[in-house]
Amino acid sequence: MFIFALANQKGGVGKTTTAVTLASGFAQAGLKTLLVDLDPQGHVAFSFGQEKTAGLYRWLVMEEPIKDVVQTVRPNLDILPSDKNTEKVKRHITLMDFRESLLKDHFKRLKYDVVFLDLAPSLDVLHINGLITSDWVIIPTRLDAMAVDGVKEILLTMGEIGQKGHQFTGYSILPTFFDRTTRETITQFQEIVQTFGERVLPPIPQDTRVREAPAFGQTLWEYTPNSPAITGYQNGKSKAGGYQQICERLMEVVYG
Amino acid sequence: MAERKRRNILDPAVADLLAGMEEKQAEARLPKREREKIARERAKMRARKDHRVTYDLPPELKKQVGDLAEQMGVAASQIATYALIQFLQSYQNGEVDLSKFKVPSRSPRYEWKLVFPKSLLESVKKKKV
Ligand SMILES: Nc1ncnc2c1ncn2[C@@H]1O[C@H](COP(=O)(O)OP(=O)(O)OP(=O)(O)O)[C@@H](O)[C@H]1O
Ligand SMILES: [Mg+2]
Repeated sequence: MFIFALANQKGGVGKTTTAVTLASGFAQAGLKTLLVDLDPQGHVAFSFGQEKTAGLYRWLVMEEPIKDVVQTVRPNLDILPSDKNTEKVKRHITLMDFRESLLKDHFKRLKYDVVFLDLAPSLDVLHINGLITSDWVIIPTRLDAMAVDGVKEILLTMGEIGQKGHQFTGYSILPTFFDRTTRETITQFQEIVQTFGERVLPPIPQDTRVREAPAFGQTLWEYTPNSPAITGYQNGKSKAGGYQQICERLMEVVYG
Repeated sequence: MAERKRRNILDPAVADLLAGMEEKQAEARLPKREREKIARERAKMRARKDHRVTYDLPPELKKQVGDLAEQMGVAASQIATYALIQFLQSYQNGEVDLSKFKVPSRSPRYEWKLVFPKSLLESVKKKKV
């Protein structure tokens, strides 16, 4: 089982969109996939046209079996939803010993090929749990003036976790809301590439269709498979960016 | 140099995209006349695309056409154009028989291939033009 976390303390950078799109992409490719919502906003269930539930709370706090709390939303794809009860999960964790590994310990019993954790934009105990559970952290970021700083913050947190003995296999930075015509995007893209080099994945184009898909309870693969957010840019003879290419890159991560 | 090195280890799609964006940006900074010149050249290149084709030729034949073009001070494309016109005329007049060169092909794409005897290729080489 390989576990990805989608993390950035900054809000609205495309964490949930990326988690939903990659998880459904991996499921389509035939991997048994679980998508876990660690955010009380509960947007993951909404993205599949489902009601939010207390799935995460029931699994972690009530100790119910995983099969009773997940929803199978597509072939090969289960989601473990969140709702406001996820706030109670945080309180529960805070009162525990070994509080930082509660989530990780629960995963030992699961049988999925790949798991995606959609983290909330906050640096709380559940966020730390999510990072500690993961093998690979994907850091979506917009290319605005604070982009590099936001990424560095996450890396700092990962560094602290590393000192406590958790080994990450690696991490990637995913530029989102990419608009290749604006000077700001170019400048920030250069900066982020200078700073993080090969860690930088090809970007996800800004694409209004992305915003519409959740309202129809559809993934991007279903709602708009030929839009730039999926297919990326045509760059000369080759393609650059888009979720299709990101799936391919991360497939290489999983299979080495 | 440090920058070069760094870019060598980038994701290839990131490197391509960035290079393309930087090129466009550099172009945008040029004076208007330069920009127009680039745009004209690009349009010319695009127009030329319909006239372009790639064929594999025996190296000797390619050399012969090249040498002849050089000698006459014209483009090899024009020599090739005339050669093809002549061939097609002969073919349409029933003066060409390709069937004697035809052998079954093992390629999944083609049923047949034309195998020319060595002597045929040699025949144009020997004569000094
Ligand atoms: N490439 C894109 N182009 C256009 N809109 C996008 C793109 N990616 C995401 N969005 C939209 O931006 C909004 C924020 O995205 P998303 O919810 O994925 O971010 P998030 O990081 O999960 O936010 P939060 O921090 O609140 O959890 C959503 O409405 C989403 O549909
Ligand atoms: Mg989110």
